Formats: sequence, structure tokens, C-alpha cells
Amino acid sequence: MSAVRQYELVYIVPADTSDDVLAEVHQQVASVAERFGATIDKTEPWGRRRLAYEIGHHREGVYVLEVISGPPALTAELDRRLRVLDAVIRHLIIRVDEELGVAERAQVRRKAAMVARRTRRGLPPEPTEDERNRRGRDDDDLEGGLEPGFRAGGER
Amino acid sequence: MNGDGEKDRGGRGGGRGPGGDRAAEKGAGRRTFFRRRRVCKFCVEKIDYIGYRDVKLLAPFIPERGKIQPRRISGVCATHQRALQNAIKRARQLALIPYVSD
Repeated sequence: MSAVRQYELVYIVPADTSDDVLAEVHQQVASVAERFGATIDKTEPWGRRRLAYEIGHHREGVYVLEVISGPPALTAELDRRLRVLDAVIRHLIIRVDEELGVAERAQVRRKAAMVARRTRRGLPPEPTEDERNRRGRDDDDLEGGLEPGFRAGGER
Repeated sequence: MNGDGEKDRGGRGGGRGPGGDRAAEKGAGRRTFFRRRRVCKFCVEKIDYIGYRDVKLLAPFIPERGKIQPRRISGVCATHQRALQNAIKRARQLALIPYVSD
């Protein structure tokens, strides 16, 4: 329970925000993180995006994702600070370590099951190059139906 | 509508259970209006983590109106529907997906 948890913070600033202000917001986040002994694992700017609905008369926004590892108390403070900042029109903090852990374990379990299944059938534990190629073609077929971006109803 | 379609295989193939598309595949009932095979997309494609940032992944489960598609229509299994629901609600907060659209 020694609590270092991983969080994802996404915040949105108006599309007409200058780079200076953007840097300042990031600086604020970094300073809060530092105060709690947290580390910023990754900063990923998504750039301009259309908002799905208007937020305070803004139709477009600049999204920034920060992945932060730190104690739980960090989120409360970050939340408070971001709410005060006028430059940030929307933010969301989400704990991700658990969900990603679950996904990873599921993957490991699936892999193990595959190896067990293959050895039982007397095959080599890993799919051979040939099999993988065959599989690859199938996947391509699947991907042909996908459509980029948000559209209500998606590919259906 | 073909008149003779009504009586053959009376008991089977009605309802909405998985039995329905079995009957359709056999071509038994004439009432073969399009019925999607109900499989969970996430189970089939072995997607373990349904992320709120992946709009492309979520979009097929959000119909025109912006509501979350119910499981009985999309065929998603309960586990994944729960994860999907979380992801959609998070994406909505970030204005990646509309709450309502018209």
C-alpha cells in the first residue's frame, strides 16, 4: 500500500492560447508534482482538436496529456489548482495503474494459455513465422472496415 | 412479404436469442431479416484495455443520438460493456464524444 500510483491528467486549453501560457500551465503542474515528490513520466501534447460540444463558448481546444506517478494526495491538489486556472477550460485526472495492470495480467494469462494449448497439441510454443503471416492477412481484412475519427455509430 | 413464411418451423427461430441466427443460417424461416451475429468485439479482437482516449475504438458503440449502445444490440459481453461504459463517460467529460448530439 505504499502509495505511489500512476495517474493520467488531461487538460484542455482554448485553441487561441499562446505557447507561453501553455508552458506556464505545464510548469504549474510540474511544480505541484514536485512538491508531492511525484514524477512526470510522460507529457504528450495532442494539439488542436474540435470539441464534441461547446465548453464556455469554445469550439476547439488544445489537449495535453501528462502521465504522473505520485501519492493520492497529489490528485486533490492538482484538481484544485487546475480548477482555479483560467487558462484551463477542462481537465480530468484518472488513476490508471490498476486498469493497465489488469490488462497486462490478462495479456500474460492469454499468452500462457496459448503456450499451454500449443504444447498440448505438440506444436512449438510460439507460432511459427508461417502461421503468423497467415494471421497477419486476416487482421488486415479486419482493419479494412475501420474508419478514422469520431463519427456517430462508427463503422457500423 | 411472402405469405408461406409464417408457419414453417413455428416454435424455433423466434425471439431474440442466439438461436435466431442459427435458424437464419439454415435458411429455414423466410423471415430472415438481417440479424447480426452477437459476438463481443473486444473478446474477439482480444482487446484488454478500453481506453477513454481511443475515440476510434469507442465510436462504433455510440449511435447517432450520442447514447451508449445497449449490450443487447451491440453484443458486447458484460465485462467489456462495463469497461466501455467507463471509457465513454470519461471521453465525454473531455469533450471527445458528445453527451447528446442532434
